[in-house]
Amino acid sequence: MKCGLSIDVRDIDEIAINIDPIQVGGRLTADAMKAVIAYGDGYSVCDNCRKPNRLDMIKSPPIDAFHRDLATFLNMDEARVVPGARRGFQAVAGTYIEKGDPVLLTALSHYTEFLSVEAYGGIPLEIQKSPENIITADAAGEKIDSVQREYGQPPKLLYIDHFDYQFGNEHEVKGIIKVAKQNDIPVLYNGAYTVGIMPVDGRELGADFVVGSAHKSMASPAPSGVLAVTKERAEEVFRTTKAQADLTKRTFGIKEVEMMGCTLMGVTLVGMMASFPHVRERVKHWEHHLSNGRMIVDALLAIDGTVLKSENPRKHTLTRIDTTGSFDTVARTHKKRGFFLTSALREKGIAGTIPGATKVWKFNTYGMTDAQAHYTAKAFQDIALLNGLHVSR
Amino acid sequence: MSKRAVDSIFQAMFLLTDLRVILRDTAPVHELDEDQRAIVARTIAALEEQVNVIRKEMVE
Repeated sequence: MKCGLSIDVRDIDEIAINIDPIQVGGRLTADAMKAVIAYGDGYSVCDNCRKPNRLDMIKSPPIDAFHRDLATFLNMDEARVVPGARRGFQAVAGTYIEKGDPVLLTALSHYTEFLSVEAYGGIPLEIQKSPENIITADAAGEKIDSVQREYGQPPKLLYIDHFDYQFGNEHEVKGIIKVAKQNDIPVLYNGAYTVGIMPVDGRELGADFVVGSAHKSMASPAPSGVLAVTKERAEEVFRTTKAQADLTKRTFGIKEVEMMGCTLMGVTLVGMMASFPHVRERVKHWEHHLSNGRMIVDALLAIDGTVLKSENPRKHTLTRIDTTGSFDTVARTHKKRGFFLTSALREKGIAGTIPGATKVWKFNTYGMTDAQAHYTAKAFQDIALLNGLHVSR
Repeated sequence: MSKRAVDSIFQAMFLLTDLRVILRDTAPVHELDEDQRAIVARTIAALEEQVNVIRKEMVE
């Protein structure tokens, strides 16, 4: 079936259980799908845009109230919707980083954080990870001290991912923020893998900026995200234009410079809004999703030779696993070679793994029903048994 | 042609969306329990009503 001349219908989530590491938290709710149907046209949220003509002030649909709800949801003072978490990083970086400024990231930071620092001439410096792949408050403190010695100034900004994209490990966010605050360093909390799937309280954490990815974790179309800030930082990050055109003498109202005016003007925003009541509710059930994830991890670890690369016990549904000693031993002699695992999973209706990967790979179990979680756990073990692997536990 | 036809088209697409989500929730085997089958039956009945309105407004 085609959507257009050459675009196949995408039915992966209708046909299969999707365990793609980056897709599961962004799957739309029914209400978001309905909003997408009704608001697919370009500037669809602008029908009732009135002076002072700014996205976050539109009352119908209730975009203004949604912005307030977003800030409350994250226990921050102000929020704006942005085209993905990366644009949230960019807005903060654009506000604070000047050429040559040292900026702290971590050894597990996402590449878009590096790009946002680079874009403004900052020098990205990493906090070392522990042998267990955890970013600790002690390591952050040591790095801050070393930057101070080397650059004669503290880092201009510190980015910390609550859970990283490589291992899905939890890092010492609160402790790291405390250390940063002791050194007057503003902190950007990257909640790409938390905001929208588990409770996040920005004020309690002490963050200056909370960034979330709506298309990754808030059941929204891409690109969408949120940047929430404290009152003090709002005046800086959400500063309004002062520009005046030299010939025409035009000015540009109260458009916000870092937002480039309005951000999500259509389907992305209404999708995010339509999912929001469900997202606000689903974060309360994080522990249940986590318990399903742990059950699947346990099932995989029961296959002899399988090693968990992420921290244990799991604190997130995103997990990195090493099956070099199990599924990869099958791949060495299987006629489909490394593709046998993806193929076997697809035959059982499980999708989202990297084709050909049988050594180290990632998966995410978020959003499964209990029945789907049990099915997935059994499917992994059935494939192992069918291919002569021993399932010990 | 009328607002009624427009409303019915949206309503029909929304009902189909509800069915789509049940397919997602029950993938890959799509073995529906009794409650889910009842929801599907009600949704299809409502969908048929909307299709009838569309037919009446746009064809007859």
